[in-house]
Amino acid sequence: MKLLSTTILAGVLATGAQAETLRMSWWGGDARHAQTQEALNYCGPKLGHEVAAEFTGWSGHQERITTQIAGRTEADIMQINWPWLPLFSRQGDGFADLRDYADIIDLSQFSEAQLAGGEMNGVLNGIPVSTTGRVFFFNKTNFDKVGLPIPQTWDDVIAAAPVFREQLGEDHYPFEAAGLNAIFLVSGAVTQATGKDLIDNETMTVAWTEEELLEGIRFYENLVESGAIRSWRQVAGEGNIELFEMRPWSDGRIAGTFEWDSAYAKYADPLGADQELVPVPMLTIGGSVTEGTYSKPSMLFSISQHSEHPEAAAEIINCLLNDPEAIEILGDSRGVPASKVAFDLLQGGDLINENVAAANALVLNGSGPIVSPFNEHPRVRDAFADNLEGVAYGQISAEDAAADIISSINRALRQFRS
Amino acid sequence: MESRFLGLAYLTPYIIGLLVFTMIPFLASLYLSFTDYTLINSPVWIGLENFRDLLDDRTFKRSLNVTLLYVFLTVPLKLAFALFIAVILNYRLRGIGLFRTAYYVPSILGGSIAIAVLWRYIFADAGLVNLVLTSIGLDPINWFGDPVNALFTLALLRTWQFGSAMVIFLAALQAVDKSLYEAAAIDGANKWHSFWHITMPLITPVIFFNLIMQMVQAFQEFNGPYVITGGGPLRSTYLLPLYIYDEAFKNFNMGYASAIAWVLFVIIMILTLVAFWSSKKWVYYAGDKRS
Repeated sequence: MKLLSTTILAGVLATGAQAETLRMSWWGGDARHAQTQEALNYCGPKLGHEVAAEFTGWSGHQERITTQIAGRTEADIMQINWPWLPLFSRQGDGFADLRDYADIIDLSQFSEAQLAGGEMNGVLNGIPVSTTGRVFFFNKTNFDKVGLPIPQTWDDVIAAAPVFREQLGEDHYPFEAAGLNAIFLVSGAVTQATGKDLIDNETMTVAWTEEELLEGIRFYENLVESGAIRSWRQVAGEGNIELFEMRPWSDGRIAGTFEWDSAYAKYADPLGADQELVPVPMLTIGGSVTEGTYSKPSMLFSISQHSEHPEAAAEIINCLLNDPEAIEILGDSRGVPASKVAFDLLQGGDLINENVAAANALVLNGSGPIVSPFNEHPRVRDAFADNLEGVAYGQISAEDAAADIISSINRALRQFRS
Repeated sequence: MESRFLGLAYLTPYIIGLLVFTMIPFLASLYLSFTDYTLINSPVWIGLENFRDLLDDRTFKRSLNVTLLYVFLTVPLKLAFALFIAVILNYRLRGIGLFRTAYYVPSILGGSIAIAVLWRYIFADAGLVNLVLTSIGLDPINWFGDPVNALFTLALLRTWQFGSAMVIFLAALQAVDKSLYEAAAIDGANKWHSFWHITMPLITPVIFFNLIMQMVQAFQEFNGPYVITGGGPLRSTYLLPLYIYDEAFKNFNMGYASAIAWVLFVIIMILTLVAFWSSKKWVYYAGDKRS
């Protein structure tokens, strides 16, 4: 009994906050779920708190969080997607201000630029766990098989298409892009050509002209026509699943994709040990003025505005981000960490997968305009997806699609203009 | 406990559930349909604006058309198939109990996400169905990539869940007086005549019941398109419940989503009333004097 009392007392004394029961929610894959639970099992007892884990896959997580926030039943600690900040906290009042807990969370481990990514209206709503970006990944094994080097330009990808068909079979493609990836490719091509992000944050309007966007759509059409990627119709034939879940990906019939750097394991694991997936620097189109790297703070750790125990939640966040043991447990399950102490520890201990580290380096060293979080606003995405799909199915012309994308996005952004 | 309170005590859990999980959300959605409600901020009264916006909403019109097509495709298909199987299972065959149970199983499993996932794999490009087609020398079909095929594939999933309608049909078939068939046979009627002139009129109340139930359920279909096609391609499977869900939880437009939900409710009500009105002409009840 005496021992038990001493242990509890030590737990409480070790922290500034009282022993509390907290909830933490996140999305991710199996590896992230397992590692985060393990880290919470370390941080919770260490700080004298009990943390209940609430985790799901990516699909439907935003809807879940939305419902919880509307009902004021959200978890104390939440893993938040960066583009959600303006949706949930336009004025900065949707989440707790983490600078209020600067004595608990060691913010010195993050650069001002990193912290700025987690701010809304000057309020620190979330701490970036890592910086992420879209990276090209190619199945090196398949390119080796046909005797081609890994593509460095889009011309290389287009030139590889007939070689793949001739040597490996009609159903082999060097790349894949439909749905979200088609949006990224079109946007990337226009950004490379113009040096501008889709959205002008000053005016909250589309920064591109119809002609500029049209060129991007034509670039996508060219990829389909040249056989470098499967048509939208073919990809839709697989059903509503992601590329890494598809047989053509796991058996190597699709040899490339454009994904978040932190998603490396998700795409590499289904390939098995006999195929090697490697990250590749941004492919560019002729006359590019920038690489057009799409980088952003990835997920953020935030504290609920309605949490009854924000100090305890801050302690847990600090532990997950900056405690050496928790850092080792979490590894690169959320990409390459933004926290200096975490990065140094993982890099020094060789605890980051070399391909994940290489992919992240491409993001961090890439050039391109600052990306607006509104690129990922659901209505912006819908405007792109509906029109590109219409073009892919021959329902509308590329010209009409370009005009409609711009007018639809401008309409969607109207409510965010001051 | 006094017996007059005992019944109420038994009913209380259901009444509480009905009030909390059905009536309050039902009435709240009516109020919210007249508001601008982002879920994050408090609702702001805007009168009929949401309903006016629906008139110019291309996605709503497309989704409504797809939903009506889905309902008009699915309900007759499912009722016809359920009746067909019920007629077969009405024969006294050896092991018929086992068959009746087996045919009901899809209805128990049918609405689940797991079955929708299974359906996605079966009809995928390299799925079981295309494997069978190619093995017998036919060309594979792009079930999900073609807008018409995609809706049809979802309709098939609902049709496959025919068990509950079948059980009700089976009960109705077994309630038909056998002496009527014997009398018809003596008068020279063949099986088709007996089915068409005796069975069908006598089970019309059950057909009517199943029609209403299946129509209401089909209008609310969500799991199938959400999991299997995500509403695509070209929004050809983007049924109204998906649109309501997206508006409410992805676009933070709960007021507008509530307005769509109420339009859907009114459409279901109108079609139900039309069905009731038409039933006077084709549904026959016991003691009915019509000839």
